[in-house]
Amino acid sequence: MDQPRVDPDQELVTRTQSGDAGAFDELVIKYTPRLYGLVYNMTSNHEDTNDLLQDIFAKAYRAIRGFRGKSSFYTWIHSIAVNMTLNFLKKRGRRFQLSLDDVDASIQNDKEFLESTATSSPVREADLSELQRRLNEAMMKLSDEHRAVVTMFHIQGMPHAEISKILRVSEGTVRSRLFYANRQLQNYLDEFRKNPVS
Amino acid sequence: MDEFDDNEIARLLRLKRYEQPPPGYFENFLHEFHRRQRDEMLRQPLWRICLERAHGLMLRLDVRSLASYPAAVAAVLVCAAVISLKIYQQPETARVALQNPPALSVPASAEGEWSLTSPVATQIFRTQPVRRFNESAQTHQAAAPPRYVLDSVPVSYEPTFRF
Repeated sequence: MDQPRVDPDQELVTRTQSGDAGAFDELVIKYTPRLYGLVYNMTSNHEDTNDLLQDIFAKAYRAIRGFRGKSSFYTWIHSIAVNMTLNFLKKRGRRFQLSLDDVDASIQNDKEFLESTATSSPVREADLSELQRRLNEAMMKLSDEHRAVVTMFHIQGMPHAEISKILRVSEGTVRSRLFYANRQLQNYLDEFRKNPVS
Repeated sequence: MDEFDDNEIARLLRLKRYEQPPPGYFENFLHEFHRRQRDEMLRQPLWRICLERAHGLMLRLDVRSLASYPAAVAAVLVCAAVISLKIYQQPETARVALQNPPALSVPASAEGEWSLTSPVATQIFRTQPVRRFNESAQTHQAAAPPRYVLDSVPVSYEPTFRF
């Protein structure tokens, strides 16, 4: 799942750099859903995510003239998003911002969801929405940096190499953070499985 | 398998991809972005808007590659000229007043060699000036303007050239 060497966004970036605002609109349309998932799963709050996304694209628009193409636009915009979200979370502190209302209730009727949970014995036994709630709680117990790695790897499906470029850390650090975060999530969900009413 | 393993965790986390914003959110996002950009621009001062427009125009015309080095050199030269003019236009007395106090420090051995009764001309000549700033002040009237000439140290013992 490596990024292609030729940046697919190069033309839009060049047009934006030469003053074509419409080209940047295309980039916004293209990256909004993906960045929404990234920021939302790091903040767990829709309003915060919306404000952050607006700020992220505004910052990218101001800075795009200085973008020299050393990385892909994909990596660049994700770096901006992750850094701004981490800064925001530091300012917000550890205030718990779980917004379960945003979880789509129709998820339990989704074909892929049903297929993915059909073979899973713990999941099958547990109430699915409760399990999702517990999972969100467990995610919020992770540190911001660990949650960022979990979000990018497990939820967004990015490879380790891409995550290391975005976070500017080594691949070893990414793997180590993932391992630690997985253990934490596992412990928390096991606890829930043993004591479902707690 | 009663416990959650890594695969179970990964599968559960992948389900979070289905968490979506309210319907119509992505459609309205771009409009909201434009609105915020306009608001931000209206809050900026006029000179900054003009500067940004000019910068954008220069980038579009690729003036930067032609003008960057000469413009930078010219800017440095103008700055240097302005700074040097300011330095040389400062009054001479101000610079003397700043430089004199450190020059008037005295070694401890000179203590007691000065008094109001001893005339300036009869002082023992030393290779170093032997006056302290405070003592120097005592040789003058209180209302007298400060003096910056070390009159206790003769410039030369050679006879004065007379016609």
